[in-house]
Amino acid sequence: MENKDTSRRDFLATALLAGVAAGCGPKKNPFDDYAGNDVKASGEMVKLLSVNGDIIEIDKAFLKPVPDLPPVSNDEARRGIAGKKFVMVIDLSRCKNVKACQKACNHMHQVHPGQNWIKVLEMQDAEQTAPYWEPTTCMHCDEPPCVKVCPVDATFKRQDGIVLIDSDRCIGCRFCMAACPYSARVFNWEDPGLPTEVADQDYSCESSMPQKKGTVGKCDFCPDMTRTGELPHCVSACPNGVFMFGDMNQDTVTNGAETFRFSELIKEKSGYRLMEDLGTKPSVYYLPPVNRNFPFESGLENQIADDKIKHSK
Amino acid sequence: MKNILKTRISFLLVLCLMVSVLSISAQDTVKAEPSVKLRYFVNNNNIQYLMVKSVIGKKLLPLPMKVVNVYLDSAGADNLIIKTTTDKIGKAIVFIPVAFQEKWKSNAKHNFIAVMEGATPEEEVTAELEITKSKIEIDTSSSEDGVRTITVKVMFYENNTWVPAPDVEMRVGVSRLGGILSAGDAETYTTDSTGSVSVEFKRDSLAGDLQGNYILAAKVEDNDSYGNLLVEKTVPWGVAYEPDTTFFSLRTLWTTQFRAPYWLLFMAYSIVLGVWGTMIYLIRQMWKIKKLGDAVGK
Amino acid sequence: MENIKHLTSEQITQDLFPRKFGKLGMLWTGILLLVAALGLYAYYRQLRYGLIVTNMRDYVSWGIYISNFVFFVAISLVGSLITAVFRLTKVEWSTPLTRIAEIIAVSAIVFASLIIVIDMGRPERFMNLALHGRIQSPIMWDVIVICTYFFISILLLYFPLLPDLQIMLKYKEKSSNALNKLYRFQGSFWKGTPEQFKISDRAINILCILIVPVAFSIHTVTSWLFATTYRPGWDSTNFGAYFISGAFLVGSGAVVVAMYVFRKAYQLENYITEKHFEKMGRVVVLLALLYLYFNINEYLVPAFKMKKAEEVHLMGLFSGEFAPLFWTAIMIGMIIPIFVLIFKSGRKPLPMFIVGCMVVLGAWFKRYLIVTPTLLHPFLPMQDVPASYHHYFPSWEEWAIAGGSMAGVLLVITFFVRIYPIIPIHETIEENEKHTQNQD
Repeated sequence: MENKDTSRRDFLATALLAGVAAGCGPKKNPFDDYAGNDVKASGEMVKLLSVNGDIIEIDKAFLKPVPDLPPVSNDEARRGIAGKKFVMVIDLSRCKNVKACQKACNHMHQVHPGQNWIKVLEMQDAEQTAPYWEPTTCMHCDEPPCVKVCPVDATFKRQDGIVLIDSDRCIGCRFCMAACPYSARVFNWEDPGLPTEVADQDYSCESSMPQKKGTVGKCDFCPDMTRTGELPHCVSACPNGVFMFGDMNQDTVTNGAETFRFSELIKEKSGYRLMEDLGTKPSVYYLPPVNRNFPFESGLENQIADDKIKHSK
Repeated sequence: MKNILKTRISFLLVLCLMVSVLSISAQDTVKAEPSVKLRYFVNNNNIQYLMVKSVIGKKLLPLPMKVVNVYLDSAGADNLIIKTTTDKIGKAIVFIPVAFQEKWKSNAKHNFIAVMEGATPEEEVTAELEITKSKIEIDTSSSEDGVRTITVKVMFYENNTWVPAPDVEMRVGVSRLGGILSAGDAETYTTDSTGSVSVEFKRDSLAGDLQGNYILAAKVEDNDSYGNLLVEKTVPWGVAYEPDTTFFSLRTLWTTQFRAPYWLLFMAYSIVLGVWGTMIYLIRQMWKIKKLGDAVGK
Repeated sequence: MENIKHLTSEQITQDLFPRKFGKLGMLWTGILLLVAALGLYAYYRQLRYGLIVTNMRDYVSWGIYISNFVFFVAISLVGSLITAVFRLTKVEWSTPLTRIAEIIAVSAIVFASLIIVIDMGRPERFMNLALHGRIQSPIMWDVIVICTYFFISILLLYFPLLPDLQIMLKYKEKSSNALNKLYRFQGSFWKGTPEQFKISDRAINILCILIVPVAFSIHTVTSWLFATTYRPGWDSTNFGAYFISGAFLVGSGAVVVAMYVFRKAYQLENYITEKHFEKMGRVVVLLALLYLYFNINEYLVPAFKMKKAEEVHLMGLFSGEFAPLFWTAIMIGMIIPIFVLIFKSGRKPLPMFIVGCMVVLGAWFKRYLIVTPTLLHPFLPMQDVPASYHHYFPSWEEWAIAGGSMAGVLLVITFFVRIYPIIPIHETIEENEKHTQNQD
C-alpha cells in the first residue's frame, strides 16, 4: 500500500515536473537546483483532462504555467534570479526605425507620453560614414555609474545583471540621470496620470509599475516577463527581429523567431558595446550595421516631428 | 534549405512592410479594434490548455482585464468551459475541466470558441480554433563515432488510431530562455512521410546545468491542425555550469549600502569620528565655561 | 587701527550695538519678505504639481536649483577663509570682518541644504538618506560634510559671541525684553573670567583649524557631484581646486559687498575703514588671479585636444549659444575685477562695492554655466524627445524659488544684524586698548 502510494506520487511528480509549461517555466530551467526555486506542494489538488481524455490529478502549485504567479517580494526583486546573467544583442543591420519596440515598451510600462525608455537614434559617426538607426535601452552595465551614485539604494544591480529602480524609495535627486553616459533614464516630472486601478497597485521593481511622480524610470529588461520564461516586450514586438535576448550563462540569445549561440553570434558578426572606453561594461551588445536589410532612408518617415525638423536643417 | 529560408524571410519582410504601411494608414482612419486570440498547447503529451489573449489594434497590444467565455465545439451554456478574465498583460490560461471527458473523447477533432465580452452585445469579439488531437515523441541515439542524433515523431489521432503526421514544421534543439537553440544548422525542420525528423546534434560544449544536463526540446508552433506541441528530454550532453557565487560577497562602489568597500568605510568613519569627536570635545568645553560662569554667579 | 585709537569703550559699544530697523531697513526687510513669500508660493506649486512646473526635463535634469546650491556652498566657504585662515595667520585687520563672514557662511549653508531638498522630486522621503544611506554615493558625502560644516560654523559664530552677549546684557535698557531673554539664555553664564577666556580661546583655535579641511571638503565634494560623472565639462581632475578657488573669490566678493552695506547703513566708518577695503581689495585680486588660473586650466587643456564630446560643449561656451553669458561671466567675474583692483584707487569703498557685486553676479552665472551646458551635450544625440527637452530656460517658479532662497539668505543676515553686533564689540575694544597702549 505504502509502496503504491509512493509510486503514484512519483508518477505525479515526474509528470508534473516535466511540466505543462510553454517556453521556459521556472521549474524546467536547467539551473533550478541552483536557483532554489523549489516549488512546495500546496496540498490543493486539481483534476484536469489530458489529450487522451484521461483524468490527471495535480497539486495546484505544480500546475504550469502557474495561473497566478505570486507577486515577487521587494527583497527577491532586489536579489534577482540566481544563476542568470541576462544579455541583449541589438542587430543594427536589421533596424529601420519602425519603433514597434518603443510602442510596446511605452504601452506595457505606461511611460509618460513624449518620454521613451527605448529611443531609436539616428546616428552618423562621421561626415563620410554611413548613417544608421540605433535603438538604445538601459545598458544594464556591470559597473553601473548610476548605481554608484545613488544615495539611498533606490537603484540597484541584481545578481542576474539587471539594474532596477525602486520607485518607493527613490528621492528624486536625479544624480543617476547625470551619471548615466547613455542618457537612458527619464524622470516623472509630473503625476503619471495612470488610471486609478493601476496607480493604486503596489509598486513592483520588476515590472517598474506603477510609475510614481518625482521618481526616475528606465528600461528594466522586463524581469517580470523573464521570470515566466517570456521575452521582454521590445524583443517580441520588433517585426524585424532586431532585439535578441537571453541568458549569458546559457550562451544563447533569441528574438523569438531565431535563436543563436551568443558567443558565436558576437564572434561572427563582430559584436561590440557602446562606449567601451568608459569602463561601464554594458550588458547590451550591438551588431554593426553591415549587409543591411533596409536602406537607412526607409526609417526617416518614422522619425518624430521634432527630430525631422532638425534633420531638414 | 538556406535559400528557401532567405526567400521566405524576405517575403515575410515585404509582407510586414505592407502590413505596417497599411496599419499606419488604417490607424489614421479606423479606431483601434479589440480582438481575442486563441492558441492551443500540449506539453509532453500531458495536459492540454488554451492561451487566451485579449489585444487591441493592428499591433496587437495587450488589453488587460477582459472577460472571455471559452466554449468547446459550439457556443452554448452546456459547452462553456470557463468564463475567465485576462490578466494585466491580457493573458489567460484555460485548462479543460474533467466534466468534459466524454465530449473530449467523442471526437478526434475539436473546435474551441472564445467570446470576449464587450460593453454591449454588439461589441462582443469571437475567435475560433480547430484542433486535431496529436502527440509528439523525442528520442536520442549516439553512433559509435560519437555522432548524436535526435529523432522526433509526430502522430495525430484518426479513427481511434495514431497516424504519422507528415509536413509538420518544428524546432529541434536545446531549450533556452525564450526559445530553442537549434541542434543543427537549420532554424526549423519538417517531418517526412513517416512523421519523423532526424537531426544531427552539433552544439558542442554548450553550457548545461550544475551536472552538465540540459533539456532537449522539439516544438511545433501554431500548426494549423495541431496547435502548439512541445516535447522535452533531459540529456547529460552539456558542460557543467559553475555558478558564480561571488556576487553577494563583492564590495564595490556600486553594491548596496551593506557592501561598501572596506577602504571607503575606513576612510569615511575615521574622518567622521575624528571631526565629530573634536566637536563633541568642544561642546564639552562649552559646558565647562558654563559651569565656571555659574560658579562665579553664585 | 590708528583711526579708532582715541575711541572709548563706551563709544565703541554705543556704535556697534545692534540697532532697530530704520525706515530703509523696514523697506529692505519688507521687500525680502515679499520675495521670500513669492518663492514659498512657487514652491507650494512645485509640491502640488511636481517638478513639471520647472523647465528642467530629462536632459537638463539639473537646473538653476543646483547652480544656486553650488553658489551657496561656494559663498559659505568664506567663513573659513576670513575667520579661520586669517585668524590662524594672525591677520589682525580682519577682526571686524570675521562675524560678517561667519554669518554669510551659516545662512548660505542653511539655504544650500534647503535648495537641495527643493530640488528633490520626493522631498518627503528625505529621511531615506538616514534610513538607507549609501556611503558610496558622493551625495551622501555631501550631506555629511554640509551638516558638519554647519555645526562647526555655528560654534565658530557662538564662541566669539559670548563676550559680546555679556556686554549686551550689561546694557539691558537698550534692548527689548524678548531680546534680553534671548541673550540671557545664550550667554548669561559668561562672566569673562580668565579661565573662561582661556578655554574659549583654545576652543576657537581648535575650531579654526578644524573648519579649514571641512570647508575644503564641502566644496570639493560638491565639485565631485559633477566630476564623478563622465560628462564633458564635468569629467575633470581639476574640479575640486577649481571650485574652491572660485568659492573663495565669490565669498570675498560677498564680504566686500556686505562691508560696504553695513558701513553705510550703520555708519561704521570708524570700524570698517578704507584700510579694510584696501586690504580686502588685495585679497580679491589675488583670489581672482588664482581663479583665472584654474579657469585657464579648465578650458584651455580640453580645448587644446578638442575631443569630440568636449568640442560640442566648449564651442557652445566659446562661440555658441552660451557664449554671451560665458564671456560676461569671465569678464565681470575675473578680468574686470583684476584690472580695477590692481590700482590703488580701485580699492576705495565704492569701486570695491561695485566690483564685489560684479564678482558675486559673475560667480552666479558661472555656476549656471558649469551645470547646464554640460547637460545639454550628452554623449548620445538628443532625439526621440519633445523639442522642449532640447533647451533650458528656467520657469518663473524656478526664478521665484531661487530668488526666494537668495532673499532667505539675506533675511537671515538682516535679522542677525538686528539682534547681534555685526562687528565683535569685545574684540574691537580689546584691540583698541592694545593699540592705545602701544601708542603710549
